[in-house]
Amino acid sequence: MSAARGRAAALAGLLFVAGLAAAARAQDTIPPGGVRVGITYTPGTRPALAVARSGGAPFDSVRAILERDLDFSDQFEILAPPSPPARSGEAPDYRVFRAIGADLLVVLAPAESERAAVEVQLHDVRRGALVRRISVAGGEGPERRWAVHRAADEVVRWVTGRAGIAATRLLFVRNGQIWRVDADGSGLTQVPAAGRPALSPAWAPDGRRIAYTAFVRSGQPIVLQDLASGEREIVPTTEYGLNITPEFSRDGAHLAFAHGTEAGTDVYVYDVARQCCVTRLTVGRFSDNLSPTWSSDGSRLAFISTRAGTPQLYGMDADGGGADVMARFDFGTTGQTNGPSWSPDGQAVAFHREVNGSPQLFVLDVGMRTVRQLTGTGRNEDPTWAPDGRHVCFVSSRSGAQQLWVLDVETGRVRQLTTSGGARLPAWSPRLATP
Amino acid sequence: MGHSIARRCFRTLVPLAVAALSECGPKPPPQVAPQAAADSVAAAARRDSLAASARRDSLAAVARRDSVAAAGRRDSLATVARAAARADTVRAQVRENVVEEPAPAASGLDSAAAADLATMVQFEFDRSDVGAASAAILDRKLRILQQYPRLALQVSGHCDERGSDEYNLALGERRAAAVKRYLVEHGVAEGRLTIVSYGEERPLDPGHTEEAWARNRRAEFAVTAGARP
Repeated sequence: MSAARGRAAALAGLLFVAGLAAAARAQDTIPPGGVRVGITYTPGTRPALAVARSGGAPFDSVRAILERDLDFSDQFEILAPPSPPARSGEAPDYRVFRAIGADLLVVLAPAESERAAVEVQLHDVRRGALVRRISVAGGEGPERRWAVHRAADEVVRWVTGRAGIAATRLLFVRNGQIWRVDADGSGLTQVPAAGRPALSPAWAPDGRRIAYTAFVRSGQPIVLQDLASGEREIVPTTEYGLNITPEFSRDGAHLAFAHGTEAGTDVYVYDVARQCCVTRLTVGRFSDNLSPTWSSDGSRLAFISTRAGTPQLYGMDADGGGADVMARFDFGTTGQTNGPSWSPDGQAVAFHREVNGSPQLFVLDVGMRTVRQLTGTGRNEDPTWAPDGRHVCFVSSRSGAQQLWVLDVETGRVRQLTTSGGARLPAWSPRLATP
Repeated sequence: MGHSIARRCFRTLVPLAVAALSECGPKPPPQVAPQAAADSVAAAARRDSLAASARRDSLAAVARRDSVAAAGRRDSLATVARAAARADTVRAQVRENVVEEPAPAASGLDSAAAADLATMVQFEFDRSDVGAASAAILDRKLRILQQYPRLALQVSGHCDERGSDEYNLALGERRAAAVKRYLVEHGVAEGRLTIVSYGEERPLDPGHTEEAWARNRRAEFAVTAGARP
């Protein structure tokens, strides 16, 4: 026991530096309690994880969801587990899993509590120890599914210090209407929204409200809509003119958007918390200023402006001062730049830029001011960050029609999220406690 | 129409000038020669009549100014009322999700004029400036708008599919605004023109060719109030 403790302390020490770096990136990287025991592995490789086979319902469906979630987290090398299934109630035979090279093992066991359906057990194979138990709530349908997603995210959190993104959703536009889909591609549902088209959906950080542009008969207002009740209100002053590209600040207190008139399009901020006060941040006579996106601490906004001719990426303070060029460009040669999304950890801004006539994804390192191209095949545009600050969802024509794809910026792995109908203007939700 | 106004003005001004001459002319001073005296009487009469007409003009100007100001107040009150009504309308439409377009107002124009009014204006890629070809198209609309002062238009700006979806909404707004600005600079009252942008949401041509893109980069014109009340 004390030896295990000592080892845990040593591991915690090793992870301390990584923990510091992670803490600088996001608030939620420190697990509750502040101390974490994790897996060490060679930098550049990922820990190998197997989800043990387990016979019968409800284990099979839970296992399928869980394994896919852990795969989509891009944090693990997913191994095919050896059959036959591990017998429930017995300790797993770690030698079998060591033999296939597993660092981690997930076992599904019957829950001890009546209210839970399944218990997810995470084992450290090298140490041969059960390190984490997560009970998955019972019930059927979406609630069960969501509980499995939450468990997968908890496994990711235990190992990496940052929760996964399985319990998240995306909003997007299809045929001029707003749809939502779970991060694993299931649960495709239309959101009854005003306007045709309804464009540029954005999540409030509580995951309960959304904002979007509604083309109704007499205007193009920004609508705030409660997802559960469907209740709608309009951002004051957006009854007039063109009102586009809303985005909530990360504390949910403010909503930035672009308001267009005959004298140009400018960035404004609405005080959502006080339900008043629309403030103008840019004054670009006859130029376009749009697509505002907030820094993680709410002190800065990145946005697109045509003040130097073609649309390019600029930054400014939240009060409109201190404007500067964020992604350097060469006048006349650098392609149009649009669709910026500031990462949740504040360190990067993803955007798309025209390269040889097609938009491609780029990511700006905010501290270093360096720009890296992420895609090169087909048209790739309108990136939106997942709450883990590692994945982006974007629109790509690589398979023909415009569809949503997910890119892991760290490994470059890409997967297709939507497969039928067109899809554009995605917005990734925060982590959602309930479906 | 122009002729009849001129005639009416002439008929009004001549008797006034005669009256000014007879009422305001001073007595001729006895020292001066008859011809010189007659000249000076005429000059003084002219002077006085000019002064009187200037006074009248300035009074008229003040009256005009006052009436313009009053009309302005009326207009601005009307504008505020209209804006408030419009905001209510938009809120109701969001609540009930009213998206269908109103039927365009009957222009009351003959088919040639209606066609001139509806002719679209094209734009270069990522540009919103009104070129020479567009100006010629707009000049034909100007003549119709001048002829029928009750006619009102909505200008809608559109883009091709190549740019970013959201940026194209701003670009479409800029195109519609540029067209409106041209018409206003050439004498059309601002209140007769409204603008809207549809970005790339309403392509005229669903193709993906240079020709299709060129057709889709456009401003369209819809009659919102007809030539007759």
